Amino acid sequence: MAQFTKKYQYSQLEKYKEHLELQHLKLKTIIVNMMMFLISFVVLYFLIRLDVQSNSMIPIMLLFYTLIIINITFYSYDGDQYNNLRIAMYINTMGVYIATIVLILQFQTPSIFTSLFIAYAVTAIYQDYKAMLLSSGLLFFAGLILLSGYSEIFTLVGNASPQEGFIIAFLVIFVLLLTLSSFILIKRKTFFYNQLAQIKESEVRNMKLLMKIEKIKTNKELNSEKYYSSLLKFTEILSEKLEIENIFSDKIMILKDSRKMSFSELLGKYNTYSKEEILEILELELETHEKMEMIGIKASKSINVNVDRKEMFSEAQFKSFKHEGDHRYIKIISFVVFYTMLKIEKPYLKSLTEEEIKDILFNSEYYYRIDRDIINIYLDNNQVFDTIVKDIMKGE
Amino acid sequence: MKTLINRIRNTEFLTFNEVLRLKVVLVTAFLLLFVGLTIPISALLSFNFQFSINIIVPIFFIILLLITIITVILNFNRVAMHFSIYTMIGLTVFHVGGANHLYGFILFFVSLTIIIFYQDIITYIIYGGAVTFYGSIYAYQSGGELMGVLSSSEQVSVLTYQIMLIGFYVIFLIQFILSDHIYEKLNNEWVRMNKILEKYQDFSLQHLNEYTEKKKATPIYKNTKFQQTISELAVFLNEFFEENGEDIAELVEFYFFLHTQEIDQVVENEEASNEAKIYAEQLRKYLLNKRSELTSMLYDFSTLFIDQKVQFNSTRYLYSIDDLFTTKTNKMLALAILYKFLRTEVTQFDKWGNIGKILNHDEITELFVSKEFREFISFEQVNFYLDNQELFEKYL
Repeated sequence: MAQFTKKYQYSQLEKYKEHLELQHLKLKTIIVNMMMFLISFVVLYFLIRLDVQSNSMIPIMLLFYTLIIINITFYSYDGDQYNNLRIAMYINTMGVYIATIVLILQFQTPSIFTSLFIAYAVTAIYQDYKAMLLSSGLLFFAGLILLSGYSEIFTLVGNASPQEGFIIAFLVIFVLLLTLSSFILIKRKTFFYNQLAQIKESEVRNMKLLMKIEKIKTNKELNSEKYYSSLLKFTEILSEKLEIENIFSDKIMILKDSRKMSFSELLGKYNTYSKEEILEILELELETHEKMEMIGIKASKSINVNVDRKEMFSEAQFKSFKHEGDHRYIKIISFVVFYTMLKIEKPYLKSLTEEEIKDILFNSEYYYRIDRDIINIYLDNNQVFDTIVKDIMKGE
Repeated sequence: MKTLINRIRNTEFLTFNEVLRLKVVLVTAFLLLFVGLTIPISALLSFNFQFSINIIVPIFFIILLLITIITVILNFNRVAMHFSIYTMIGLTVFHVGGANHLYGFILFFVSLTIIIFYQDIITYIIYGGAVTFYGSIYAYQSGGELMGVLSSSEQVSVLTYQIMLIGFYVIFLIQFILSDHIYEKLNNEWVRMNKILEKYQDFSLQHLNEYTEKKKATPIYKNTKFQQTISELAVFLNEFFEENGEDIAELVEFYFFLHTQEIDQVVENEEASNEAKIYAEQLRKYLLNKRSELTSMLYDFSTLFIDQKVQFNSTRYLYSIDDLFTTKTNKMLALAILYKFLRTEVTQFDKWGNIGKILNHDEITELFVSKEFREFISFEQVNFYLDNQELFEKYL
């Protein structure tokens, strides 16, 4: 059975991950371009040292600076910066290899052949799947074509035969290992982006869960009337103190009216306000909107939260049922308690059916939070699990 | 093989140790192949090597590989990583003494690739630095042999080799520093968020405990049917590992017994056996009457069913009044609502551990001026608050 680990992923994650990716892509674009600028100087030094004529020098230098100018243009363009920078990334990846191949063909020495590895290293900074595949493909095929078509490049002074076979084998190993390394690194990067995006969403949902549980316990809603009455009095006195006209009362009235009027009625009654202005004011509303309540909850819990260096990258931070060092019995007990808790009715979550539980455990990250042997035994015998719970917990 | 590919594809779900283990397995497989293919060939081709070397060298590499494999089996993955690097460096040193110098020089890049593959900055600086240093010396000493037939100057050839190797090392070092910087920042934010999330869950659990108490209901961990279900499921699951089910059934009893005890007292109790202390420490993470990993995972699980259809919008994870509102009056109203929320809603634990404490004016002022609170309100708003705090206190 195929596994879809994203089936139960929060639907809001992708957009936020894009936002995180953009922040870092900007930094990486700057670093790659600074490197290209530096490399262009090293190339210029060698060209001058080898007395290369200006007409051979200019095209290669132009190539480097054209790439930098293209990047600056894409970086400065405001609209859809995420996709612009990605286009700049692909152009750079191809551009760096073109410049390298031009240099290799110009000098035709084995030493300059290794500049292909530099091209790979520069493009690896992006840590992007497509750029990685493009770079690996370009490195491999450029190397292969040069080895088969220009074997004289690899002939050393003291050697009769250049042993291209060995170099091709190394090229394959080099590309394979670096691609695999980049792949795992990009996966880790994705993991961190995913974790952060997930915890941001999880925070919103956990606050909503807390609000729901609190309402179950107290059986009370937030008393917005109490807030608006205080606000009216407060703003009246404040306006007097500041010796200004009371510019707040209309807005507070919009908040009060929003509980009994539709949005179009609000627009009609408060026609001096635009639709956007009213929408922004409604973000302050306490009964139909949860934003202000969530700010209050978060603000009240964000004090004295300190992160110790030891806690960073610590596996103990990842909640699971398979902690290293835990006895197998512990892994079994923790899993069956979790499983049984999902099967029973709770104030904050209804009991789930066997099909729902199995599907979520198999197609979500929870699969990786449970010991592999244990989860596989469960998946193979889930009906027995279901029967045991039903038989004993009957009527509960 | 299928499992291995599957694990590579899903590395983001694996722990750091599991990823390291996977990397060591891949490198060891590559090294086995490399040693198996190259050492016998080199031994046959290199007539200048003595017979003793032809015997000692393969044995040396076999021992190194055996140590790597044994340490992987024993789950000493970091030790295994070091031994796999020693094997690769050993292979490089062995091969650079061979007949083809270019083939030897490219091995320096392959060695660096293996070290890069592990993505450990300290390992890279030490071993990678040593390999690069040795490679540079090798290029200098074997300049004549490494020079291509089409090269115009030995000096330029040597310098090119050295710059390429050092450049490759430095660029990947920059990549490591950049990745570490990004991931440290992301992880720091993630750990901090995790702690805040645990605070919400502390409150959710306490609300539920108070709700259960109010309804005079029996907590689930005291329910005998629930206890029996856990016991039966644990014994059933354990049967796939061993026939004897008594030990795990006893541990299940101990697990529920711990719900009536203070774990710290059990762990510090001199009369308790070492085994009991170890189990108590491991079970601490999975108690149902405290905010534990298990209760957190249950709340996280239930958030899968909240806001499933809600679309992401740019303000979803924003809690700063400055970022959420555009006009000064809206920001001022939001500040007043936040104050009122903190001043009138029960948001803290009281001294008995119940949710029953409201923040007073001085505590709110302390919060508002604290560094952590810049996440919610700006300096400008704090100044406004401080200038008018008597009105906030009196009317909100």
